[in-house]
Amino acid sequence: MGDMTTFNIDSGYFEGLVRGYRSGILRRNDYHNLVECETLDDLKLHLQGTDYGPLLANDPSPLIVQTIDERLKERLVHEFTHIRNQCVQPLAQFLDYMTYGYMIDNIILLITGTLRNRPIAELLPRCHPLGQFDELATISIAQSPAELFNAVMVDTPLAPFFSECVQDENDLDEMNIEILRNKLYKSYLEDFYAFCKKLGGTTADVMCPILAFEADRRAITITINSFRTDLLKDDIENLYPKCGILFPEGLKYLKNAEDREEVRRICERFGPYKDLYNGVGDGPNDKTLEDKFFEEEVKMLMLSFEQQFHFGVFYAFVKLKEQENRNIVWIAECIAQKNKNKIDNYIPIF
Amino acid sequence: MAEKETYFFRATDMQMVEMFLSQECAYECVKELGELGLIQFIDLEKGTNLFQRSFVPELKRADEMERRLRYLAAEINAEGIKVPIEYEIPPAPNSTATESDLETMIGTLEDELKEVKKNLTALRNSYVDLMELKQTLIAADIFFRKGSGSLWSVPTNSYSLEEGDEGGRLHFITGVIDRDKVGTFERVIWRSCRGNVFVKTVEIKDEMTDPDSGEIVEKNVFICFFQGNQLEQRVKKICDGMSCRVYPCSEKTSRRHEVRDQVSTRLAEMEDVICQTQEHRTQQLKDIAVDIRSWIVKVKKWRSIYYTMSKFNVNDTRTGFIAEGWVRTCDLENVKQALKRGATTSGSVVMPILNTVGSSMPPPTYHPTNKITKGYQVIIDAYGVATYQEINPAIFTVITFPFLFGIMFGDMAHGLFLFLFGAWFIHKESYFDLRKHLLDEIISMLYHGRYIIMMMGIFASYSGFLYNEIYSKGVDIFGSSWRMPNDDQTYTSSDSVTLDPKYDYGPPYYYGIDPMWILSENKLTYLNSYKMKLSVILGLSQMTFGLFISLSNYRYFGRVLDIWFTFIPQLIFLECIIGYMCFLIFYKWFFVDAGKSNPSILITMIDMFLSIGSGIDSDDKFYEGQELVQLCLVIIALCMVPIMFAAKPLIEKYQRNKDVADYEALSYDSDDEDLEEREKAEQAAELDIWVNQGIHTIEFCLGVISNTASYLRLWALSLAHSELSEVLWDMTMYYAFEWLDWDEGGCILLIFIFAAWAALTVSILLCMEGLSAFLHALRLHWVEFQNKFYDGNGYKFLPFSFSLILENEENLEEISAI
Repeated sequence: MGDMTTFNIDSGYFEGLVRGYRSGILRRNDYHNLVECETLDDLKLHLQGTDYGPLLANDPSPLIVQTIDERLKERLVHEFTHIRNQCVQPLAQFLDYMTYGYMIDNIILLITGTLRNRPIAELLPRCHPLGQFDELATISIAQSPAELFNAVMVDTPLAPFFSECVQDENDLDEMNIEILRNKLYKSYLEDFYAFCKKLGGTTADVMCPILAFEADRRAITITINSFRTDLLKDDIENLYPKCGILFPEGLKYLKNAEDREEVRRICERFGPYKDLYNGVGDGPNDKTLEDKFFEEEVKMLMLSFEQQFHFGVFYAFVKLKEQENRNIVWIAECIAQKNKNKIDNYIPIF
Repeated sequence: MAEKETYFFRATDMQMVEMFLSQECAYECVKELGELGLIQFIDLEKGTNLFQRSFVPELKRADEMERRLRYLAAEINAEGIKVPIEYEIPPAPNSTATESDLETMIGTLEDELKEVKKNLTALRNSYVDLMELKQTLIAADIFFRKGSGSLWSVPTNSYSLEEGDEGGRLHFITGVIDRDKVGTFERVIWRSCRGNVFVKTVEIKDEMTDPDSGEIVEKNVFICFFQGNQLEQRVKKICDGMSCRVYPCSEKTSRRHEVRDQVSTRLAEMEDVICQTQEHRTQQLKDIAVDIRSWIVKVKKWRSIYYTMSKFNVNDTRTGFIAEGWVRTCDLENVKQALKRGATTSGSVVMPILNTVGSSMPPPTYHPTNKITKGYQVIIDAYGVATYQEINPAIFTVITFPFLFGIMFGDMAHGLFLFLFGAWFIHKESYFDLRKHLLDEIISMLYHGRYIIMMMGIFASYSGFLYNEIYSKGVDIFGSSWRMPNDDQTYTSSDSVTLDPKYDYGPPYYYGIDPMWILSENKLTYLNSYKMKLSVILGLSQMTFGLFISLSNYRYFGRVLDIWFTFIPQLIFLECIIGYMCFLIFYKWFFVDAGKSNPSILITMIDMFLSIGSGIDSDDKFYEGQELVQLCLVIIALCMVPIMFAAKPLIEKYQRNKDVADYEALSYDSDDEDLEEREKAEQAAELDIWVNQGIHTIEFCLGVISNTASYLRLWALSLAHSELSEVLWDMTMYYAFEWLDWDEGGCILLIFIFAAWAALTVSILLCMEGLSAFLHALRLHWVEFQNKFYDGNGYKFLPFSFSLILENEENLEEISAI
């Protein structure tokens, strides 16, 4: 695998497709134009001139942000499924792995929703379409992670990620849900990482750093979120995905961190994250750590297009497109609320 | 005369015009211009975003109207209502007033339709609900009947006997679920209730339509038995999650039947209502279908007018617009008329003003075409649109293209088929013209090239006639000129006779190749030599012709230097080498006797360059004094190379220096730094000129040889074609005639062999070979012919014209695609 002599036999067409899709991603000057729009209809008019073309042509004006969001998502899903439906192994497996992340998000969304007594019919449309599966709707019967696994998840591809939760008979409350999410993500990331490693070649070269970054991002976020909770240090360590650059040394320090400053000091010890905290702060011109992570991710994803004959481009495309959707929705939201102070807070891609 | 030539060979004269339109009359004027399609407007607001221009509200309104129309069209499509193919193209709406009428009308129609559709969907929804209930009741009958009979199913008595004990009582839920979810449903219930719930499903035989999407869905009725409240909650939750519809169902058979009868009557009632609503809707859509095309056209025109106007500059006082655009000089008067008409209709007091202005931009190229030349123009434009007013090669291509094709495709029968194919398309022209957009890609390509195909067919037949070839066989039309030495003798196919042209050849065969050659053993040697020579002669003619076109271009653009130092040396170079070779070919045909010495042209040409000035053996000599002539030719040709390379840049440099000297004499005060920079830039520019000139010279000199060699493809393709068709004949028909036993069903076998032969002839010889000959003819024109003179750096004249815009209109296509 990853061999440039044989890659194109099975996956060349799809790489071509995805590179074609990539060239439709909005450029900086597109964003400059979008930002200048006065109303959402202006936005629609401008999007007509981009690769999106008639994306919104059939929606009656006045537009609302939600419609834009839906259309953008539809389009991404359409492009993704177009590739997924045609491709063969191992690309198919790779693409499936990408959907697992969305499935986990959907599960958590539904569990949280039912916990707050929202009707399932209202929650289902809010699930990400890439993470849809048949059993999803029946999640509401589950009372504990173990039950969730036994009754619903056991037949889904997510089942292996539940290995750590099978014995967990605790009731599902807000806290436990968060733990469940992180556990699932941890197993998912580690598994995906191992899968990419197994594929080898350029795919591993490109995907492993991206997934390692993702793992570290989760570890850092978990640490920061756990500051004012009564979670035990060892429990926290159990939630860290063990495939990042921070593993094993950094994670050891990280679990004992007490405040943001300490996290920052730990991160700065590791080369790739040295500049991560540059410009992070609470000031008006400062960025949040989250945005910084996004920026860093976008950079890595963009670079993956510089190499050929690997699956990383599929991952990168979907993630970049998601970022683009976030950007457009952000801009649309700013326009709709007539609050343009922070409209420039999008993350340009190319 | 001069004007006529310009019209025919060169692009039509273009003129940049500037218009001042007052606010009131702008719309009407642009409308008039759009109907006529005379002017290509230039975007004067290039720097402005689309949504910051004037007329954005109008454009948005147009978009909204188009969206509504699309909705209407989609509804019409979905109902399968036919829209007539033929329709009259309505003029653009007169003023904004009538436009808003249309806008309100379309709006109301859409709202009405949506309302009706909503009602219909609601009706259908409840219909489906009732349907499902009925199916559930029917299925329940089956469940309970089975239940009393078979051993493994639910013991019926358990719920009827233990009525007193509520806790042990069996409850059940019935409902309907999508068939593809049944598996998951059963699994989830089994797992989450630990096998304590008994599920049974029955397929619904009738097809159900989903009221929202209109798609047919398959569903199952399910029944779940369970005990206790907790399980009931659980099952209900699962049903909820899997989006099943749960229907109440009594366990008493009589009660069920009662409900079923009620449901049946209500279903019948609803069917009536739905039917009526549907009819009403169809009628409404039918009414719309009659007009929808003209509405679409109107809106499209309306939109394009405003889109064009958004390219205009608003003048400072905001009372009018300034527009610029290219117009054919001959159309200036028409434009004026159109503007006047526009002003009159709008009742504007201020008359529009039209000025011709100069422009530094290169004008667009417009070549008038007709049905026949259009295809050829497309071929030329595919390579590159002619630079403004250079000679348009498409005119010559009309004949030379099919001619070169014919040389490579020479076969009377194959040519005839091609001709008939093209002619059939032409005959059906009026039919296809209306359905242009319905043709698939390949057919539409063939259709657009119908005249080319027909002409290619004619020329292929003609050269097939010259080659005396019909399905690789020959025909004896005028009577062969060869005579057998012994007329009395009978020859069989195995006999071989040598004919000597000195004694056995009469007066020449009237036209083309003598049929006797078909039988001869040295047929290939003879034909190859003949076709090769022919290719070189044709190549030289076409290339020389190309050079003369370049002369005409230089004269037209007044580039005297190019005439003296590009055209003339190039011509001399070409004629000294390839021209001389062709001279030798003709000389050999006319004056070298078959019996005597037989000098080779190829060897002569090679020796001419490799051993310059050395003597030639008398056996290899064509004529006396050949050495001297060849020596002179080589020297002249070589002398032309430095002239081509150096003369023009040197003279240009001299002239430039003189200009600079004059300029400097005029202005003394230029500072040194400025001068230095300018000098640097000049040096760079000069290097560019030399490199360019060098490339051009090398390209031409090498091209003289390689292009001539390239023309040999005429021979090669023609050889391939005739050989292929001969091999095909020998492998099928010849075999059949020779070896089949006619008495024992051989004639039946012949039918199949003939079918194979015919199929292969069409697929290989007509389609494949035709395509390959076409491509080679294309290459000869694009590369070998056009590189002698064609610049091809222009851009097309695309006037603002409604008919052009409508041609590309998707909505219209969509509708007529029914």
